[in-house]
Amino acid sequence: MMNFRSFILGLAAAFALPWLLLIVVPALNYQQLTRVAYDKDKDGLEGFYPPAVVNGQGQLIYIQEGCNQCHTQMIRPVQLGLDGWYKGWGQDQESRPAAPVRSNTLRDYLGEKYAPLGVQRIGPDLTNYGWRAPAAQVIHQKLYDPASIHDWSTMPAYKHLYKLQKIQGPASERALKLAGKFAPPAGYEVIPTPEADRLVEYLLSLKKDFPVPGQPAVAAAPAAAKK
Amino acid sequence: MDSTSNSPDLAADNQRRAAIDKSVRGPVLFLFLNGAFWLMLSTILGVLSAAKLFAPSFLGDCEFITYGRLQPVHINALVYGWGIQVALGIMLWIMARRSGQELRGGKATMIAAGIFWNITITVGLLSILLGKSTSMEWLEMPKFAWPVLLLCFLAYAWPIARMFGRAFRPEGFMVSTWYILGACFWFPWIFVTANVALHCLPGLGALGAGINAWYVHSVILLFFVPVGVAAAYYFIPKITGQPIASQQLASFGFWALAILGGWTGMQKFMGGPLPFWMVAIGSTVGVLLLVPFGLVGLNHHLTALGKHDAVSCSPTLRFIFFGSIFLPVTGIILALSSAFWTGASIQFTQAWYALQTVSVYGFFSMCAFGAVYYITPRLAGCEWLSVRLIRNHFWFSVYGVSTIVIMSLVAGWQQGADLNNPEYWNLDFMNHVLNSRPYVMARAIAWALISFSNIFFLLHLMLMVAGLGRRSNAPTLLHRSHGHDDTQTSAQASHA
Repeated sequence: MMNFRSFILGLAAAFALPWLLLIVVPALNYQQLTRVAYDKDKDGLEGFYPPAVVNGQGQLIYIQEGCNQCHTQMIRPVQLGLDGWYKGWGQDQESRPAAPVRSNTLRDYLGEKYAPLGVQRIGPDLTNYGWRAPAAQVIHQKLYDPASIHDWSTMPAYKHLYKLQKIQGPASERALKLAGKFAPPAGYEVIPTPEADRLVEYLLSLKKDFPVPGQPAVAAAPAAAKK
Repeated sequence: MDSTSNSPDLAADNQRRAAIDKSVRGPVLFLFLNGAFWLMLSTILGVLSAAKLFAPSFLGDCEFITYGRLQPVHINALVYGWGIQVALGIMLWIMARRSGQELRGGKATMIAAGIFWNITITVGLLSILLGKSTSMEWLEMPKFAWPVLLLCFLAYAWPIARMFGRAFRPEGFMVSTWYILGACFWFPWIFVTANVALHCLPGLGALGAGINAWYVHSVILLFFVPVGVAAAYYFIPKITGQPIASQQLASFGFWALAILGGWTGMQKFMGGPLPFWMVAIGSTVGVLLLVPFGLVGLNHHLTALGKHDAVSCSPTLRFIFFGSIFLPVTGIILALSSAFWTGASIQFTQAWYALQTVSVYGFFSMCAFGAVYYITPRLAGCEWLSVRLIRNHFWFSVYGVSTIVIMSLVAGWQQGADLNNPEYWNLDFMNHVLNSRPYVMARAIAWALISFSNIFFLLHLMLMVAGLGRRSNAPTLLHRSHGHDDTQTSAQASHA
């Protein structure tokens, strides 16, 4: 058996190793991670990767509402899941994309205070939602009352991000177009609050499949694979 | 295990124990009572959040109870309100008893820390409901919460560690106190690391998500598992009267857990943006942990072997026995979600909920219930009132938590199959949503049954703490024990 000191040292050493290697060193190294420039000759592109910083205000709403409980923001490679082949989950909106959407890298989330990669995938993945997103009006309607778009939807209604107000003068052009039982009472209209606008701007900005500098694009899958 | 049980001077020995019990009475009962309150609240919220998952407009489209806010509150109340709180009470009592020391000073500090702990959690959880969630799993409470929680935890951990240090005997074998000391030692370390990384560093992007997953796994593996195992190692020999079956197994199981426990977590995001080696290590270790979990489970089983009569009549042993069955189950579910082969199929599904439930409720809480049923009568000076309440609590918990775990696992498999179903590649998520609905309904029903029994557990505990329990020298047993007919009481007779 051992004495008290070596027992404590044993406990400390057992945990210090993963703590150091898995958390501390990677976290310090991460501070060095920066945007990289595309090489015009090799990549055929100009500018930086990733091209834009995250919309922090909108992401804050996303985080405060806990959207990541049901929506992931992470495309897995094709050997682990079908994510890359889901229709519209990447830049290519064709019904038969030539290649699967690429999986994500650390740099895709550069500048995010905390990347909401997700807890469960109860709703669709939102990594590259910006490419497939409908008009802002439709997203607002979806957020205001998802049941007005899909009656089976289990998404919560974020009505507190919208304002029900009396129509004074001409109706606002920003008012949601709600029909039937979802429509507000006569003489009233539903207007997005600034928070809703930020959230929708954030959702529209979700594009994380820009080409990685120095990496060849994923080889196109044989066209015959899908009929 | 208990070297004093054969002491010739039994009366003096009992007095010494009574003195130890008296010295920790206040803090331990405070923690148990508040913990039981949070447990009841958490399970009720479990019903509500499961209901919101299949009927989002249940109780109206109120912003404070959307699933995204409710689910974190449900889990946080379970982890910080019930789990850590009751764990501290159990740790304090077992350490005092095991080291044979009275708690000397710091009782007022402990009570104060307990009060602050509960206030912080109340404010923190309300903040989540009011829309201040950080969306970091198990750390959803706003930034202000963690330093307070850390200090409160240390107000308990430090005296517990001091007791251990004073009583440490190199030749002695005290595996339950090893685990308790480990839990005292590792939790603050994990907690500070995760909070500093996520709140104080300039922003870690996807690495932050990985550290968050590491935090959840580490708290399970290096806090909840050690405390539950410590309770099992303490109470099984104590009640069955048999020594721990194998010291080698116990020692090996402890060090294997200590060495492996800190490596997992990142595999939650397998196929994601994290560096591949992190995911690979987490995945490997997640499977390797089957070894310590299996060995510890085997050791508990061998210790209780031949004493199944005691299991059926002692409430404590019954809860702990089933808790230690859930330990290997926890290991299996962890391995299933860690290995790439199965993990990729159940990733981002309810299987994740199954893992949290089986570890925190199925394993840890069942062991904690057993400990509470043993410790409370000794501190409150009276015996549990009703056999029926204990029995109901046991059966509702066992069936309820098994239902949740099995349903969530099967639902996870179903969700994973739907996500990877090539026929759904161009459809919206209708099939995914509709297919998982029945499992979520089952979860809501199971939580409702558990809540029902937890309400009575809380009431029962309140009566005990108020000193309104049965005045008797005989413990409340679940039914007539063959060797101890004299322990039969009127309360049992009326419920038999």
